[in-house]
Order: sequence, then C-alpha cells, then structure tokens
Amino acid sequence: MDLSIIAARISQKIQSKGKNVEQHQIEAKLRLLVEEFGVPPAEAERTVISELGREYQVQGLAGAVESDRHAIAELVPEEWVTIEGKVVGLSTPNSPSIAQTGIIADASGAIRFVVWAKAGAPHLEAGQWYRIESAVVDEFRKAPNLKVHSGTTVTPLESDQPLLPTVKPVADLKPGVGSVRVKMVQEWEARSDRILQTGLVGDPTGTIKFTIWKEDGREPLVPGTVYDIYYATVDEYNGRLSLILNSGTLIPDEDAEIEIGAGGQAFSGAIVHVGQGSGLVKRCPVEGCNRVLSRQNYCPIHEIQPDFRYDLRVKAVLDDGVTTKNILMQRETTESIAGILLEEAVEIAENSPLGMDEVFLRVQSAVMGRYLDCHGREMDTTVLVTSAEPHRFDPGALAALIDRAGGEA
Amino acid sequence: MNTPQSPFGSRREVRFEREPARRVFAAELRESRHQFREGTEEKSPTYVLLPTGQRCNRVFVVGSLTEKQRQGEQNIFYRARVIDPTGTTFVTAGNYQPEAMQQIARIEPPAFVAVVGKPNVFEAPDGGGVYVSLRAESVTVVDHETRDLWVLDAAKATLDRIDAYGTTEDSKRAGEEYRIDPALFRKTVADALAQMNL
Repeated sequence: MDLSIIAARISQKIQSKGKNVEQHQIEAKLRLLVEEFGVPPAEAERTVISELGREYQVQGLAGAVESDRHAIAELVPEEWVTIEGKVVGLSTPNSPSIAQTGIIADASGAIRFVVWAKAGAPHLEAGQWYRIESAVVDEFRKAPNLKVHSGTTVTPLESDQPLLPTVKPVADLKPGVGSVRVKMVQEWEARSDRILQTGLVGDPTGTIKFTIWKEDGREPLVPGTVYDIYYATVDEYNGRLSLILNSGTLIPDEDAEIEIGAGGQAFSGAIVHVGQGSGLVKRCPVEGCNRVLSRQNYCPIHEIQPDFRYDLRVKAVLDDGVTTKNILMQRETTESIAGILLEEAVEIAENSPLGMDEVFLRVQSAVMGRYLDCHGREMDTTVLVTSAEPHRFDPGALAALIDRAGGEA
Repeated sequence: MNTPQSPFGSRREVRFEREPARRVFAAELRESRHQFREGTEEKSPTYVLLPTGQRCNRVFVVGSLTEKQRQGEQNIFYRARVIDPTGTTFVTAGNYQPEAMQQIARIEPPAFVAVVGKPNVFEAPDGGGVYVSLRAESVTVVDHETRDLWVLDAAKATLDRIDAYGTTEDSKRAGEEYRIDPALFRKTVADALAQMNL
C-alpha cells in the first residue's frame, strides 16, 4: 500500500485528538521502517501510531488496539466481542424480528451488523460512534456479521473522529463489506421493479456486478464515471460476488479515468456446436423469474405469459482441440459476435415464415466454426462469457510455426 | 459411490465429457486405418487412431468445399470433398445427419467451409482399398481468415502430436499399428505453412 495514504490516515487520527503532526514526518517514519528495515506496512502503521501516541500523550488512537476491545477487521465468527465503531450505513431490515441492520466501521475495517428487535438496544444513528459490548459474531451467507442481542450493551460515544476506509482492488473483495474505486462500466436491464439500477463496475483488477435497490434519495450511477464507493455490501451467490450500493457512500470523481481489467479467465478455441435455445428467446416477465419460455409462451413456474420480453443469446461449445467448454454468451456479446442486433432479430422472427428458427439459423451460421477469444467466468459446467472477440490471424504465429516445423526438415 | 452434489439438483449430476474435435490435415487423416471401440456397450465411443499417435472421435476441418454429390432416391445422401493445403478430406452426410445434409444442400461450391464430424474407416466393397471419411455433424460456410486460422491450428496440433510421440499410450499403440514415421508429417506441416506465406 502507498505509504502516503497510511500517513494521511495516521495524521487524521492524531488530529482527531486535537494534536498536530506534520504528515511528511509521519511518512518519513513509515518509510524508514518499511524501506530500510523491511517492516510490513501494517506493522509499521501500528509502530508509528504507538510511538506518536506516547510522544504526544494521546490515548485511544484507533488501530492501537487496547486489550478490552477488538479491531473490526480482526473479528472472526463464533466469538463474543466488544468493539468501538461508527455506524457508516443503515439498511431497511426485511423481518419484523430485526430492529436494525447496517454497517459499523473502525479504522481497521467494517462489518455488517444486525440488531435483534428483542435486544432492547437504543436506536442506532448513522454517523454516530458506539461502543458495543458483548456482541456475537457469526457468519451469514459467508460474510461475518455482528449480532446485537439482549445481552449486548450499546453506549453512544462522544467522538467525531473521521474514518478513512481501506479501498481494495475489485479482485480482492470478499463477502462482507468493501470499499472500492471503480468506474461504472455497463448498465443492465433490471429484472425487478424494486431495482433502481444494476450493471457492472470495474477497476484494473476486474469487474463486479452492482445493484442499487429503490430507496428515497438514491441516484443511479452515471455510465463512464469513476466513483469512490465506501462501505458497500459484498454479497455472494453461486460463487459470484456482487456489490449492493445502498449501504454505502458514493462519491463521483468526474475528472478521473481508470482502466478496466477483464477479470475472470481467458478461453480460446473454435465454436464446434451451437445449441438449441440459441438465438432469440422469450423470457418470463414475472419479477425475478426471467426463465426462458417455451414456444407457447409457457413458463415452467408462472404458466402462460403473453407479455414476455425478448432476449438474444448463444449457447455453444468452444473447443481448442484438447478440451471443450460449454459457453453462454449474453445479449451484448451475441450482438457483436453474430452481427445481429436484438431489434433486428425480433423483426426477422416476426416477418420470416420460419419465425425464431430463422434467427437461430442466422446466429448459427455466423458463429459455427469461428475462432474466438473469450473472457469469462466458469460456473458449474458453463463459462459465462463477459466479452468475446474473433481471433485474428497473426503473421508472427505463422512465422513461429514455420520455424518449428522446419527445425528438423 | 458418492456423486458430487450439484447446487442445481440431480439433473446435472451425470457429467458428460464431450469429445474434443481434433485438428487433422487431410494428408494424415488419409493414412489412418486403425479404428477401435472403447468399452463394450452399444453406445461406447469409437475412435480412429491417427498415425501421429492420438485417438480421435471427432475432427474439425476447415477447407474449400469444391464438389458435392447427391446420391440415392429414397435415402438421400451427400458426399463432399473438402480441400486443405495437404489434400482432400471426404465428408458425408445422410439421413441420420439431417442438419449437416441440409447445410451441404444449400452450399454452392466452391466455398470455404468449417466441418465438424466423426471419422470413419471403411473398406471399398470391391477390394478397392481403405477409405477414411468424416460423417458430418455440421458444415458451415466461413471466411478466408477462418481457413487460415485453421491451417495454423492444425499445424500446431500436428506438431504437438509429433513432439509427444513415444510418450503416450496412444502413440505407442500407433507405433505398433502403423509403419509410417510420424516425422514425415513434419514435412507435411512445413509444406502446408509454406503455401500460406505467399
């Protein structure tokens, strides 16, 4: 990590105690430890904090963890803990047995919390610091979660010390809470009326799905804009992570530009089979369903759905001559690889005597036998392709093969 | 025996491994003679052993379809010739390959085509020798660049097989079945690549 960021964080902590230390002094101390003595940055941060704490006679610098409470970043499930932290986000609980849910953070990190209705705890306010004694940490959907129950004591603290969240690369996110600096890459069609916006954000290490649920005061992200997102919720479903932005703070940085890394894995080969269900499909319009309908507009769950919506996709087999992968290309990739837009496909299906079969045939003849370089994530037995490009002829590869073939000729 | 538990329930528990489509030049496929079946059940896959020492149940070829022939009255049957830089691969499609048959029916030769098919070795009834052909699963018109990419792909795959010769079970078996020095195919590859360099 960049030492100047650590120095800024330490300087803020000292300032919050009413003392002033030059930031470059702090950075020099850190640099000495890290660069001259090979101390890991986290250890150097602790050393400098405790040194400054003694020097300026300030106590309770967060990070210099005292024995009677735990650093949030170090909480592990199945533990009784006491923490001091700031409520950085509140969300609407979805059960009457829950009084409040949200995120609480200290200088070390952040954790989701749940206050049970039966706990009799005071109502927590966003932006306020609290000392929470004898809470329990458990694991909910693979993410640590702090439970405030009837045996927990919650005391508001007089503190307004600012917090600098630790921003992580997208590739390093884990279920729980995360802060990232990302660009809004892509907007997807929302599958539910309760979703304000869903799509993809990314940084140089990869991309991740995000969702903003409809809620008063929530604005959608602007495509192409860079955001600092503090304390978003990181969820996991089927091995895939996604960011829920409702809990977090979003700060647009309009002048910034960052590169987007593809993440996932690369898969190359030729398309040797295009499966049934490729081309134009009709999807069930029922909120959250999205299943593909039969030709009679029949959804296996919601029966006849005349108000379906159209979608375009390719289910195929990518084969490199050694192994085969089932791949699934969604609308955008299908449009660019098959050279047919969804609107065009709908028009063809409505005007051709073959209907949707005509679209299947066109997509099939556009992709069969073609060499593709795909990027995507392998889930279960299928690769979900996030981007694909035709593999191009490379004269360098030809030259290398000529060398190789001629080696013993 | 434990079946790995899938989050999607039982329907995905049986994992079927699809046979990869091997890249084989016409000159090598033509020399293949040895066909065998793995296992004893009716649906057990059959393989053709390539002289460079790899079994194949499926082949991927891209070349020029120069000629097609329709045969039969009741049972229509198509034969096509697909040319690559090393020679001709014979492709067939009958009633049991309706999709490939309809695709061939629509194609006007000459055209670059991508063929995925199952190799078959058979003897001519009048003692006229042994032939290898591909029973097509799919025949699609493609562009020139796809053909060029395939030549590189087939060249690389052939060289890989030659380099691995003698180190795998299949290649030891090929050493017993064939009297062709696999190094000869290195020359085939070099010639094929030389034609690309114009």
